[in-house]
Order: sequence, then C-alpha cells, then structure tokens
Amino acid sequence: MRIKKSTRIVLFVFMLLFCVIIIIPFLIMVSTSLKTPAEISSAAFRLWPERWQFSNYVEAMRSSDWGRFFWNSFYTTVLSVVISLVINSLAGYAFARMTFKGKDFLFLLALVGMMIPQQVTMLPNFVAMKYFPLMGGNNILGQGGTGLVNTYAGMVAPYIAGAFGVFLFRQFFMNFPKSLDDAAKIDGLSRMGAFVRIYLPLSKSIFATLIVFKTTSTWNEYTWPLIITTRKNMWTVQLALSVFKEEFITQWNYLMAATTLIMLPLLVMYVFMQKYFVEGIVTTGIKG
Amino acid sequence: MKKKKDVTIDRCAYWFIAPYYMFFLLFVLLPIVVNITLSFTDFNLKTISFVGLKNYFVLAHDGLFWKSVLNTLIYVIFTVFMTLVLGFVLALALNSAALWGTRFFRGFIYLPYVTSMVSMSMVWLWLYDPTNGVFNVMLETLGLEARQWLYDEKLALGAMIVMGVWKGIGYYMTLYIAGLNNIPSYLYEAASIDGAGCLQKVFSITIPMLRPVTFFIVITGVINAFNVFEQVNVMTGGGPMNATTTIVHQIYTRAFTEYRMGYGAAEAVFLLLIILVFTLLNFRYGNQGQDLDIG
Repeated sequence: MRIKKSTRIVLFVFMLLFCVIIIIPFLIMVSTSLKTPAEISSAAFRLWPERWQFSNYVEAMRSSDWGRFFWNSFYTTVLSVVISLVINSLAGYAFARMTFKGKDFLFLLALVGMMIPQQVTMLPNFVAMKYFPLMGGNNILGQGGTGLVNTYAGMVAPYIAGAFGVFLFRQFFMNFPKSLDDAAKIDGLSRMGAFVRIYLPLSKSIFATLIVFKTTSTWNEYTWPLIITTRKNMWTVQLALSVFKEEFITQWNYLMAATTLIMLPLLVMYVFMQKYFVEGIVTTGIKG
Repeated sequence: MKKKKDVTIDRCAYWFIAPYYMFFLLFVLLPIVVNITLSFTDFNLKTISFVGLKNYFVLAHDGLFWKSVLNTLIYVIFTVFMTLVLGFVLALALNSAALWGTRFFRGFIYLPYVTSMVSMSMVWLWLYDPTNGVFNVMLETLGLEARQWLYDEKLALGAMIVMGVWKGIGYYMTLYIAGLNNIPSYLYEAASIDGAGCLQKVFSITIPMLRPVTFFIVITGVINAFNVFEQVNVMTGGGPMNATTTIVHQIYTRAFTEYRMGYGAAEAVFLLLIILVFTLLNFRYGNQGQDLDIG
C-alpha cells in the first residue's frame, strides 16, 4: 500500500497534538510542584517554573508521616503480588491441565466472580473483617474487638480473591503442548513436580504480566483502604493524598509534589515494562 | 489414534485450586450472600433486627438515590460512548502503516490509565480550579468568562465525564489495536481490488470485523463506569447540590459515614442486579475477549 507523504504528515501532526492534550495534565502537575506559591497565584500561566523550588517536595513529605504511608503501600502491594502469584498459578494450572469433577462449573463460577466488582462486595467484606473470629480482640463469635480492621491481612485479603490471575494463567498454560505432560509422567514427575520443574521455568513472561497488573491495581487502590483503615498509621499513599488534599487545598505546589511522588514508582515501572502493562489488559481486559 | 477411555481424574487438582478458592469463597461469593441477607435488616454495626422488605420500600422513594442513579447513567452513557469513539479513531490512526513513532504515541496515550484515580483527581482538581486553574486561565486569555467547573451544578458532572474519558482512552485504544491486528489483510486487499475507498473499507470491513471487540469493550466499560466512585469522593464529595453523587457514592455514604449497613446493602443489591444483567449479556453473546491477541 502506497501512502502519500502529505497524508503521513497530517496524521503525524494530528497524533502529536492529541498526545500533547493527553500529556498536558502531567506536565502541569510537575511544573506546579516546582513553583512558588506566588508564581502559582499570579495571573500569567507559565508551564516552565521561574525558579525551581525543589524544597516543595521535602516540605510536602514532612507535612505528615509519609514514610509510614509509603511503607504501608509497599508492604500491602508486595503481599498481594506474592500471594496472588502463588495461588493463582496453582489454580490456573489445575484448570488448564487437569481433569477433575466439577471443573467446568468451578471455573465458570470464578469467571462470574471476576465480573463482580469490588464496590458490590466492599460492604459485606468490611462486616466480615470487623467480626472476623479470634482476631483483633474478637471472641469466637466475632464480638468484642475490631477484627481485621486496621490490619495488613484485612487490607490485602480481598485483593487476593480476584480471579483475573487464575484466568490469565489458565490461558497461558493451555497453550503448552500436551506431550509435555506425558514426558513428565514418563520421567516420574508428580503433578506438582511437573508444575515446578517444567511449567514454572517457561512462564516468566506471564509472571511479569501479573506482577505488573497486580502491583498497579494494589498500589492505586483507594476505596478498600478508605473503608478498612480507621487509624492513620495504616493509611496507604492514595488514602493519605486524599486526606492531604483537605489540609492543603490552597497549597497546590505541595499537593502536586505529593501527587508526583506517589505516582513515581509506577511511572518508573511503566517506562521499563510497558509491554507487560498492555499484555494483561488485552488478555481479558478486566480489573480484578 | 484414539486412546480408550483412560482419562485420569486428578484428585490432587482440588489441592491446587483450594488456596485460591478459599479466598474466592470467603471474599467474593460469601459476601454476596451476606450482602443480600443484610439488605433485609436494619444492621448498624451495633444492633440488628429483621425488617423484611422495608429497606427496599424506602429505597424506592429515596429521591437522592434515584438522583444518583440518574447521574451514574449519564456518566456511563457519555463516558463509554466518547471513549469508544475516540479510542477507535486513535487505534485506526496508530495501526496504519502511515505513521511514524506509533510505539511512542501508544505509550503516552496509555499513561493516564496506569496512574491512580486519586492522583489524577488531584491533578484535575487543580486544572478545574476556579481561580488559577488552567481551564479558566485559557478562557480568560480568550476573553471568555471564567467558570466554576466543579462548583457549578450544571458543569460538575460534565467535568467528571471529560476526566473519565481522558483517563480511559488509552485502555480502549489498546483493545482496539489488538482487535485490528486480528483482521486478516486479504480482506482489505480484496476490497482494494474491488475499488473500495478508505472510508468504505472502514465501514464495511473494519467496523463489522471489530464487533466482538466493541461488544466486549462496551460491556466491561459499562460495568466499570457504573462503579464510578473514587473521583467523586475525592473531587466533589458528591456535590454541588448532589450533582455528582453516584450509586457507589450513595452506598459508601449510607454504609460508612452513617453506618446504615442494612440500607447500604439494599443499594448494593440494586447495583449488583445491574452488573449481573451486563455480565449475563457478556456470557451469552461475548467471548471474554479470547479472540484478542497483541502484536
């Protein structure tokens, strides 16, 4: 197909303009985070800050216990990623490679579960966490204490229940040749042995995809931490930012500095692993 | 060669799925049952008693709730439609061989989808700021009157929709690009031989061939949009004058600020039914996007 040069140029300019529109909020965010309050409230709008005020970042982080918030986000993300990877790969392998009674039904159930959004289950999940037996001062009937509210376990458990990973792993393992299983059997490997020795070493890309997906969704999560944490020392960065807004509503430079910082870890990850960000989305296209 | 019936039943399979299913049962399936049960009570975290269908009767006459349903519907329809059209056009542009730097463009357009809704809400709050926000600075430079944006009853929901479209566009675009890659090129070649123009090809090949992708995007997009909450809670708190309150925002307010768990649960059942309709549509007519493949 031959394409005229003029078409190319028009298309390129169009896309460039569109990209600028998409990117401009990010540029304004970074630029505002470096401005002085005087420059922000001046009538003239300039994208390039007059004087680069890096101290905004220090001030923003000093305003509260941000070290703790970053740790909470980091810790819940690691827990959610690691546990999901283990249990989702096991389940995905079983659904892809084994025959057992009720397999189709169980898988269909998980698929339906994948469509159930967290917003529908957040209320009963909170109730379940609060009255979780024998935790957080609760007795066997779930009375008396706070249960799993304000605990890492309570914060992470619902993330792990997402069916997305199971679906992803199943799709991936189904593409392996059947003869692989026969070979494993001849070599005397058990199912678990075949999974660990043969399947896992061949699954690096799918693990990368799920790591990226789970990291993004856990790090960005706002609603569940909002509900399940009542004590400040359990806040995640997203939650802390939303509260920070109430306190600093007029100090946009601090607010934008904090916003930039909480976005930074994912941004770095995105730059280096862009391929995997897209992969998970395209495979099923559902948040989980 | 067909083997005789020696399909071995793997008893150990249950051990493989057990860890996952435990979490799934406890935090997805059981909660739905609990939620439905709670909706027939007046549970408030302290006392609980069975009230029958009372919550549902109250809900039917709750003007604020129906306002939130209307807001959510407006948000869903406009966001999904606009994102769909823009995502499709971008995918077409980026998929054509006529463009330089497609990877670069894709990377940038997808960026808003990667970042958290909370942080993007902060940025857009600032863009919409009535005194120094960039939108008003632009309007004033053009000699137009500044607006109140998120503080204006008439504009607030629209402002939310614009942000929603901006954030979701890269996601739709990516799915469409994947879909475009799956259309066999001989269809276009045949059309060229028949003398079809560019636009004609788009309408008679591309759009019909992309129907499964579009279906999938609409269903999942609608489900996601029905759950709109984070930006509402962060940016407007449902205001001004409840102009941006949504179904999930109502559930959150009733259940977690007023502790009317029973009533909130009834609202959640309403949301669940809507989601269920779209989920069933997807299972009946869709294919879970399984035909997608990225190149």
